[in-house]
Amino acid sequence: MTATSLDELGPVDYLVVEFPAGKSNFTGEMAAELLALVDSGTIRVIDIVILTKDEHGTVEAVELADAGELGELQALEAELAELLAEEDIEHLAAAMEPNSTAGVLIWENLWAAPFASAARRAGGQLIANGRIPIQAIIASIEADEALASVGD
Amino acid sequence: MPLRAARVGRVGVIGAPVARTAARTAVVAKAVTPGPAPVAKTAVVAAAVTPGRPGRRRRI
Repeated sequence: MTATSLDELGPVDYLVVEFPAGKSNFTGEMAAELLALVDSGTIRVIDIVILTKDEHGTVEAVELADAGELGELQALEAELAELLAEEDIEHLAAAMEPNSTAGVLIWENLWAAPFASAARRAGGQLIANGRIPIQAIIASIEADEALASVGD
Repeated sequence: MPLRAARVGRVGVIGAPVARTAARTAVVAKAVTPGPAPVAKTAVVAAAVTPGRPGRRRRI
C-alpha cells in the first residue's frame, strides 16, 4: 500500500455480532444489507471471519470461503484482504459467551475517507474516536428523566 | 483453528482481548432492565439526537 493510498484510507472499524446457541435466524437479510452498503460505496469490506465458541471456551474460526453456500456474499469474499491475524481472532473471541457463534466484520468507512484526508492535510491528527453503544444513550436519557422526575 | 496460513504468525491489529460491549459502561446495566421494548427505546434515542429539539443540559 503506497503512502498516497494510505492517506486516502478511510477509518477502519470492526464489530463482532454474537448469536447465542439456538437464537440465530439467518434469512439472508444481513447479507443483503451488507451488500447494499458496499454497492452504495458507503463501506469496503476488508475481512470477515466466523467464530464459534463451545461450552468449554474452545474457539473455532472459519474463513468466509469455508462457511458453505455464500450466495450473494461470494463476490465479497473475493475482495477480502485478510487483515486479521490469528492473535486478533483470539482477542475478539474473548468477548464471546460459551455456546455461541459470532461474525467478525472489518470494514473501511469509505464515506469518511474524504473528510479524514482533508483533516490530515489540514494538519489534524486523530487523538480519540469510538462508538457510543445505543444502550448507553438510552441509559443516559433514562437517568436524566429519572432525575427530572425527582425534582417534580 | 482452520485459518489461512497468511493469518498465522503475523502481528495483530486489535492489540488486546476485547470486552463485551454491554460490560463497558455501568450505565448499560440500567438500560437493559425491563422497560419499554427496544424498538420504542430506539425511537426515544432517535428523537433525542434529532436537531432542533430542546438540548439536554451538559454537565461537565
